[in-house]
Amino acid sequence: MNTFLQVLTNGIMLGSLFAIVAVGLTLIFGIVKVVNFAHGEFLMVGMYLTYVLTTWMGIHPFATVILVAPALFLLGAVTQRFLIQPLMSADDDHIQIFATVGLSTALINLALLVFGADIASTPASGLRTPLQLGPVRLLSGQVAILVASIAVVVVLQLFLSRTQTGRAIRAVAQNRAAAQLMGINVNWIYILTFGIGAACVGVASVLIAPLYPTSSGIGTYFVLTAFVVVVLGGLGSIGGAFAGAMIIGLIDSFAGFYIGSDLREVAVFGVFLLILILKPSGLFSSRLNLSHVSP
Amino acid sequence: MTDISTTSPRSQAASNGWMLKAIPLAAILASLVLIPVIVGNQFVYHIFITICIFAALSTAWNIVGGFAGQLSLGHAIFYGIGAYTGVILMNMGISPWIGMFAGAAIAVLAAVIISYPCFRLHGPFFALATIAFLEVFRVLALHWRELTGGATGLMIPLQIGWEWMVFRDRLPQLLIAFGLLLLTLAVAWWIRSHRIGFYLVATRERESAALAAGVGTVRVRLAAVAVSAALTAFVGTFHAMYLTFIEPAAMFSLQMSIQIAMFALIGGLGTVFGPLLGAVLLVPISELARAWLGAHALGLHGFVYGVVLMLVVLFMPNGLMGLISRFTKQRRERGVLAGTIAASAATPDARQRAPIGADVMRVEHLQKHFGGLHVTNDVGFTLREGEILGLIGPNGAGKTTVFNMISGFLKPDSGSVTVRAADGSWQSPTTPGDFATIGVGRTFQIVQPFAAMTVEENIMVGAFHRYSDVEEAREVARETAERMGLGPWLDAEARGLTIGGLKRLEVARVMAMKPRILLLDEVMAGINQTDVRRAIDLMKSIRDSGVSIVAIEHVMQAVMSLSDRVIVLNSGKIIAQGEPREVVKDPVVVEAYLGKEFIDAQA
Repeated sequence: MNTFLQVLTNGIMLGSLFAIVAVGLTLIFGIVKVVNFAHGEFLMVGMYLTYVLTTWMGIHPFATVILVAPALFLLGAVTQRFLIQPLMSADDDHIQIFATVGLSTALINLALLVFGADIASTPASGLRTPLQLGPVRLLSGQVAILVASIAVVVVLQLFLSRTQTGRAIRAVAQNRAAAQLMGINVNWIYILTFGIGAACVGVASVLIAPLYPTSSGIGTYFVLTAFVVVVLGGLGSIGGAFAGAMIIGLIDSFAGFYIGSDLREVAVFGVFLLILILKPSGLFSSRLNLSHVSP
Repeated sequence: MTDISTTSPRSQAASNGWMLKAIPLAAILASLVLIPVIVGNQFVYHIFITICIFAALSTAWNIVGGFAGQLSLGHAIFYGIGAYTGVILMNMGISPWIGMFAGAAIAVLAAVIISYPCFRLHGPFFALATIAFLEVFRVLALHWRELTGGATGLMIPLQIGWEWMVFRDRLPQLLIAFGLLLLTLAVAWWIRSHRIGFYLVATRERESAALAAGVGTVRVRLAAVAVSAALTAFVGTFHAMYLTFIEPAAMFSLQMSIQIAMFALIGGLGTVFGPLLGAVLLVPISELARAWLGAHALGLHGFVYGVVLMLVVLFMPNGLMGLISRFTKQRRERGVLAGTIAASAATPDARQRAPIGADVMRVEHLQKHFGGLHVTNDVGFTLREGEILGLIGPNGAGKTTVFNMISGFLKPDSGSVTVRAADGSWQSPTTPGDFATIGVGRTFQIVQPFAAMTVEENIMVGAFHRYSDVEEAREVARETAERMGLGPWLDAEARGLTIGGLKRLEVARVMAMKPRILLLDEVMAGINQTDVRRAIDLMKSIRDSGVSIVAIEHVMQAVMSLSDRVIVLNSGKIIAQGEPREVVKDPVVVEAYLGKEFIDAQA
């Protein structure tokens, strides 16, 4: 029973990790309607930034968020403005896919060039301290991720539903042309959204860096799961992404324990393929109207 | 009906363009073998073998990713299957020459099983699904250690000679790689220049229009995937023998899949020789960077690749081949336009009209609901041979829904559609393909051109329904184009036509199928008066050749002068039918169109 609880807890912790990575992806996916294949590399950039700031300047990893999140916002905004925006009107979606795939390839290899193939370990700063909660053990850094992922989801939901800008973003997502006619600067909304999506990854990277060693390939590891989460949760649905992340976290954790740790990915991607093929709109109906981007 | 004299300067120009491409192509291919043989350096051999391998992989990928437009980022699956099958069988004492066919067979099986459910997915979702499958294969290859050696990988046994595909010399390896490249190029060229290639591009451009033209869209794409997978597996087997060592991370690698697709994009997606060009330009960069800069520049070539990829999509999305064809086309068009400005308008045949014959289509008790909306309520009618039946009604009356049900695009909730086949038997087709086979052709209210194809190629897709030979289909397409007044635009891309031109193209494509029943959905909406008159003449001449027509039309002038009978649909129900003159006087019809107040005012 204790083992079961431990596996369950691990699943929830893993789920919150996936959630915080996937939230930004689903936002970009749902509003700009672009699949950002470079999302994982944004995470990698954020983690390297955290590593550099903590090791060179000795700042606590969490404190670097005040620099990392804006830096990632800028990276996202620049990506949208100079890479995606010129391609928004391309009638062939190959083009946008190749654009972000190109960005992803360039960033991975840039990291290899700058940091080499060795892994970079951000100082744990007490975040790898185990906590004993009744029968289960977990790390304080994991609890921070859980808390932060819930906070990010709540803040984003409030922002989208309560603020004027948030409403404008939702309007653009529902009908680009109509929003434009209402005087919304659509291109600016896209840049903003891409920036916010990337800034979410910035927050994620600050939380993840002390727990996972950074390498140039770390993005690929996380982003594939993030895609699974986003499709599972319904494109553009932030709450859905959170729920989807929890499900995938639990599947990963239980499959790893009961089937075999090397087959966890088969279970996760198996679920992904089933969802894509059987119910491509995701398990949870999306709050944003995305009928025209559904697969 | 074909005017031979108008086609000859075109074909001459086309053959010039062909020569313009053939010579550099032959030069590139020849230099792939000659340069390493002349230089004789081991490293140069290695670069050129790698070029051939990647060019072949990329060409094979392009059959799916380019022609069919299914962006696979999991093609390393088939490469890996080829490699593993070859090595595993070789370790059992079976020659890789046999192993490569075994690998291809397994790859084809995997390709069909993977692709069939994924064809419903488009764009990024298809790409994501293929990546997911790739990950599954990689993890499974790591897991089944007894078979694959797991993470430690597999070595090939040291058996040298032609029968083992393993050599001390580089030359035989180069020849095999080059042979594989030629094979892939030949297959890609064959596909692109035959019916299946047209079908693939048509499916990529407009799936519904392709269905209406009788294309088995799933079948042709499965065929493309199967061929592509087999070729990729061939290359995989050989590459494994060349590398002498394989491991899951290298064989089932996402980076590799991306690279294969990237060469095709940079060279020119969907072109036969683009992938070759992309590989010839980019492979040396990475190999040289790896050799000269070594570990210092870890990631440098990848970084260059990524940047080049972004620049290409931003500034030349049609790739190198796009640049080349823009250059050659300019030269060609100047020659063509001068001779053919005098457009030949459609001339109605002076033939006598055939009498209206027996029933050819029976529509009975069609019902259709969309949620709570009852869009078709007990619609039934018959269509007779050589008859023009007008289908009119206000917006939202359900006309197009009826069309979709009598062409197989929508399944009625209840009711039946039966069509008399050419042999006189009555059949109940259900899919768009069935309808096309039995001789029902349709147009779409919102025109659905295959935008990236020329006018001629658009019409050929229809013509292929009856003629499998390319030249025959081309002949029929030209004839049809002349008849529709599209003759001067045969070589123009469909996306450049005006709305009137697109409507005519829509009709031309379906006419080239030589249908016995023609369903025309608002072909006159939004075109000018001259074109309307021309269209009326055209419909008469089609009718006189014995084709039965159902036409949805809002242009009353056309409805009145053409229709033998008119059916008026309102809110999903037939509210009147009969001769045009009587129907328009029917107060129920007037009310449906103009409202009750109008009747009261007249009274």
